[in-house]
Amino acid sequence: MSDSIKFTRRDFMKFGGAVGTAAGALGLTSSRLVAMEQDLGGKDYSPATGAERQAVPYTCMACNIEDGGVAYVENGRIVKLEGNMDHPNTRGKLCAKGNSGFLHVYDPDRIMTPLLRTGKRGEGKWKRISYDEATTLLASKLREVIDRADAEHKPEILNEIVFKYGRDRTGGAVGRFMHALGSNAVLNHTNICESSKKIGLEPTWGPDIESCDWANTKYILNFGSNVLETAYFMNPNAQRLVDGVVGNKAKLVSFDVRMSNTSGFADEAFFPYPGTDGAIALAMAHVIMNEGLHDADFISNWTNVSVKQLIDHLKPYTPEFAEEESGMSAKDIRRIAREFATTKPATTFSYRGPCKHVWGSYQEAAINMLNVITGNVEKKGGYCLPRGMGWPQPQPEPPKGKTASLIAAPPLYPLASHHVSTHAPYMIKKGEAKVSVWMHYYDNPVYTYPSSHVWKEMLSDEKLIPFQVSFSPYMSETTELADLIIPDVTYLERHDPESMPGGLYPCLSIRQPVVKPLGGTQEFRQTLIDVIHKVDPDGSKGMKKYFAFNSVEDWMRAHFDAIPGLKEDGGWDFMKKKGVWPIYGEVDKVTAKIVDKNGNDVEPDYGLYTKEISASDMAGAEVDPDGTIKKDGQAIGVQVNGRNMVGFGTPSRRMELYKASYKKYGFNPLPVYKRLPSRDKKADELVLTTYKVNVHTQSRTASLKYLAELYHKNPAWINPKTAAARGLSDGDLIRVTSSLGYIVTRAHVTEGIHPDVVAISTACGHSAYGRLAQLKQREQAADYVQGGDADIANNVWWNDKGVHPNPIIRLAVDPIGGSQGWYDTVVTVSKAESGDKYGDTNASLEASMKDYEETLRYAYTGDIHRSKHQEVDIDWNSLPEPALPSGGH
Amino acid sequence: MENGFEHEHERVAETQALAGLFGFLARCIEEEADAALIDLIRGELREPLAAAGLGFDEEFYHTPTATLVEVLAEEYTGLFVAPGCISPYASVVETGCMFKEPADRAAAAYRQAGWDYRNRLSGEFPDHIGTMLGFYAKLAEAEATARLTGDSERAEQYQTQREAFLLEQLAEWGPGWCQRAADAALLPFYKRLLGMAEQALWSELEQRVERRRLRELAALNRREPKRLDYDADFRKASGL
Repeated sequence: MSDSIKFTRRDFMKFGGAVGTAAGALGLTSSRLVAMEQDLGGKDYSPATGAERQAVPYTCMACNIEDGGVAYVENGRIVKLEGNMDHPNTRGKLCAKGNSGFLHVYDPDRIMTPLLRTGKRGEGKWKRISYDEATTLLASKLREVIDRADAEHKPEILNEIVFKYGRDRTGGAVGRFMHALGSNAVLNHTNICESSKKIGLEPTWGPDIESCDWANTKYILNFGSNVLETAYFMNPNAQRLVDGVVGNKAKLVSFDVRMSNTSGFADEAFFPYPGTDGAIALAMAHVIMNEGLHDADFISNWTNVSVKQLIDHLKPYTPEFAEEESGMSAKDIRRIAREFATTKPATTFSYRGPCKHVWGSYQEAAINMLNVITGNVEKKGGYCLPRGMGWPQPQPEPPKGKTASLIAAPPLYPLASHHVSTHAPYMIKKGEAKVSVWMHYYDNPVYTYPSSHVWKEMLSDEKLIPFQVSFSPYMSETTELADLIIPDVTYLERHDPESMPGGLYPCLSIRQPVVKPLGGTQEFRQTLIDVIHKVDPDGSKGMKKYFAFNSVEDWMRAHFDAIPGLKEDGGWDFMKKKGVWPIYGEVDKVTAKIVDKNGNDVEPDYGLYTKEISASDMAGAEVDPDGTIKKDGQAIGVQVNGRNMVGFGTPSRRMELYKASYKKYGFNPLPVYKRLPSRDKKADELVLTTYKVNVHTQSRTASLKYLAELYHKNPAWINPKTAAARGLSDGDLIRVTSSLGYIVTRAHVTEGIHPDVVAISTACGHSAYGRLAQLKQREQAADYVQGGDADIANNVWWNDKGVHPNPIIRLAVDPIGGSQGWYDTVVTVSKAESGDKYGDTNASLEASMKDYEETLRYAYTGDIHRSKHQEVDIDWNSLPEPALPSGGH
Repeated sequence: MENGFEHEHERVAETQALAGLFGFLARCIEEEADAALIDLIRGELREPLAAAGLGFDEEFYHTPTATLVEVLAEEYTGLFVAPGCISPYASVVETGCMFKEPADRAAAAYRQAGWDYRNRLSGEFPDHIGTMLGFYAKLAEAEATARLTGDSERAEQYQTQREAFLLEQLAEWGPGWCQRAADAALLPFYKRLLGMAEQALWSELEQRVERRRLRELAALNRREPKRLDYDADFRKASGL
C-alpha cells in the first residue's frame, strides 16, 4: 500500500486558508527576506544601457522649502530627482512635488521664447521675439522712466517702476536690480503668506520663525499647522516630527478646524472655532502662570516682563473664557496646559492657522509665549531659534532708492515690515500711486490673492498699468495679461544661492543648472544683466557697475568664493560638486541621524543666546542698569548673573514679550485675544477657510501630470450636521456665497471639519497655466479623433479641475503684521440654484473696493482699531502720523 | 542606353521637385514668413502654386507686405510657439514632453548626413517638423546633385537616407500632425499650406510602403498627441 497522499488543489487552498487565519501562524514566512528599500543617495544607472547616470546636486524650488536634491541626468536629460544625502536638514528626502519637478522642464506648455503681445491685453495673441529684442524693449521702457525722473529731478518717479514677486529665491538679485534702477517699489507676497507670524515673533526675539527640535522633544502643541503635509519646512519638519513622535515617544497635540493629516497623526486633536487659537494659548498660559508651573528664572532673566505682570495680564483669559470662544473644553485646556508645562522638553509649532487672521500677530505672540514661560527656548528638544547662514553680496552694491514707495510700504501699516501687497491694486485704482512699468516674477495674483478679480481688473487696465512684463515660463492667469514675456528657465536650469533654516544645522546650498537651459532659454539672472547693460550701456547712469559680471557663474563665485571655511574647501566649485556646505556627516541609514565618521551623533548647537561675548568684543562696551550691553550705541548682548551673553535679536537682547513698538501705534504690547467679526456670525452662516494639500503649491503645480493626477479637484468640506441642516448630501452642487459673490462647487460631507466651517483647498480651478491645469487637452478636435480613446491616449482620466475660492474671499488685513485674513470670510452654503453650473464664479468689484475701505478702519489710524483697543494706555490723540519710511526700504 | 538616360533624367527631375516642394514647405513651417517669402509666394510662385491647386483669396495678394508679415507672425506664434499651440515637435507628439529621444534621433540623422543643427531662437529643437521636412528636401537636393554629377553610389546613399528618415521619423506622425495643425489654423495661409504638407507626405509614403503598412500609418497618424510619457522607472523609484 502506498502511503503517498494525493492532494487536490482544493486541499491546498483549504489548508492555506486555515494557516492564514490561525493566530499562532502569524508571520510564518522566511525571515531572511525583507522589503526592498530604495538605497537613497546611491548611484543610479540607465535601465536600458546600464550606464551610470550623471548626478548633479541642486536645491529644490518646487515650493519654498528649498530641499537638497540630486538630479540624475542621462543623455543630457533629467530622468530622475531624489534627495541629497549631504543636506543635513532634508537628509536625502524629497516630497512628491520635489520628485515631480523635472516635469516643469519638459512641459510642452512651457514658454520657450520671449513673446510680445500683438492683440488686446489678455486676448492671447502674441508674436515671438528673441531675448535680445525683448531685453532691449524692456530696457527702453525703463529708461523712459529714468530719463523722466532725471529731467524733472524727482527720484520718486523711479518708484513707478514696480517689481512684484511671489517667490524671490535669487539671493538678492531682484533687490540689486531694482535698487540699481533707483526704485524701492518691490512688492512681495508675504502678506498673503505668513507675515503676521513674522511680526508676532520678530519683535519678541529677532528672527521670523521658530525651529523646533522635534526629534528630541517629548511634547508638541501644534497650532494650525499641517506640518506633515504642507507647512513651512514641511519636509525636514515632517521627518523630525515623525522621529519625535515615533522614535522619541513624544506626545503630539494638534489644533485645526479641519482633520488634516497632521491632526490625524496626533495623539489628541482639537477643532477650535477659527481664529481662537490665541484664546486657547492665553488660557494655557493663565493656567501655567497661576499654578506655578512656569520657569520663573527664565522669565526673570530672559524676558522684559515680570511674573506678576504676566499673571495680571492673563487674568481675564481663564480656561472658561477660552472655552466660550473656542469651543475647546476648559477641562482639556487645563489638562493640556499642565502636561505641556510639566513635560520636558516641549515645544509649540504654529503656522498659518493662527496668524492668517485679522490680529493674527497677537495669536502668534501668544503661542510663542507658552515656550517662554515654560523655559523651553533653545533647549534640546525645545523651541529653538532658526539657523540660517548668510552669504556676501558682490561689491559694489547699489544703495536703496532715494524715496520710499507708497504701494510697497503703505504708511497705515508701520509695524508690517514685510509689507502689505494686497493693497496695491486698490491704491493704484484710487490713484494713490502711479505705475509706468510693472514686472512680475514667480507671481500669480490674479489667481492667488484674495478677491483675485481686483488684480485682474487692475492688470488689464492699460491706463493704470501702461507696460507689464512677466518673467514666467508658464502662461499663468497673470502672465496672460502681460505685454511682454521674457521667460525665465525652470529652477533646475538656473543658479541661485540658498540658505533656509529648515532644521537645526545651518548650511548654505545652491541651485545650478542640472542640464543646459532647454532650447537655449535664458535664466532670469542673465536677463537682469542684459537689461541693466542696455539701460545704462556706457555706465553713465551709474548702474552698470552693479552688474559687472562676465557670466552668471561669475556672479555665483562672487557670492561663494570668499566665505571663510567654504573658501578653503573650494568655494563655488565645492558647492557645484556637493550642492550644500558644510557637510556635517552622514545620514545613518538606520536612525536617520547625522553621524560623524566614527558613527557618533553630530548634535546641533543649543542655547545660542547664551553664547559668551568675548573679552575683545566687550572692550569699550557698557552695561546698562537693566543688563543690556551696548557698544557704539548698539546693543550687543546682555549681562545675566554676571555673565556677558549675546542674548536675542531685540533692543534689550532679551525676549520682549512686552512689545513697545506695538504700543506706539495703539496695539496691546502684550499678547491678547481679540474677538473677530467672524466669531459673531449668524447661526446659519459659516466661516470659509482654505488649505494647501500635500502635492501642490498654491499655483504652480497644477500643470504637473504626476501631481494633478493625485489631486485635481477641491470640493468644499462640510460637516454632516451642517450639511443636513441645509439639505445637502455628499457630491451635491452647492453655492458658497460671501458678501462679494458666489462660487458653484460640490460638497464633500465629512466629520473631519468644524460644524461652523466650510473648507476649500487651493491649487485647483485654474483658468490658465497650461492645458493640463485647465483640462483643455480633453477638448478634442472632433474630426481628428477617429476611433481613438482620448482618455487612454492622454492618460487624463479625470474630468474635474476644481473651483478656486479666492474670488469670494474678502480682503481683510491684520493691522499689525499685515497678513491677509484668509480665514475670516463669512459665507452661506446652499444648494445650487436653477441654472447654476459647476465652476460658476461671480464676484463684485464694487464690494471688494468696499472691503478695502473697511479693512483700513482696522489700521492703526482707524476707528475700529481704537474701539477695539481701549485697554491700551496711550494718548489716542497723539498717535504718530502715517508716514513713508525715510529713505529706501 | 537612351532609356536608361531618360530614366535617370526623370529621377533627377523628380528628386529636384521633391527638394523644391519640401524645401518650400519647410521654410513656411519652420519659422515665420518674412517679406521675401511673401513676395515669392505672391510673385514668382503664384502661378505654380495655383497650378498645383493652392490659391489664396485676393486679400492675401493685396494686403501690404508689412501688415501680412505681422498678421502671419501672430498666427505662427499662436499655432506653433505659444503655450496651447499645436506643438510642432516629434517629441511632444510621441512622448508628451519637449526635447526627448525623437529630438536625438533627428539630430543624429542630420549629423550622419553631414548637417549640424543650430537653433535661431530659444525653444527650437531638431525634431521640429519644419526642420525635418527641410532635411528631407536637403537629402533630395543632394541626391539630385549626385545624380547630375554621375555619382550614382552617393545618390543611392542619399536616397536610402531620405527614405529611411521619412519612414522612421516622419511617417508615423507627420501627416496627422499637419492635419491637426491645419484644423487649428485660423488663417487660410497656414490652413492650406499645412493641408498641402499633409498630402505631400502621404504622397511620398504611398510611393514607398505597401497598402497594409499604409493603413497602419493612417491609424498611427490619427493618434492624439501624448500628453505625457509615463516613465515606469520614475514611478517605481518615487513610490508613486
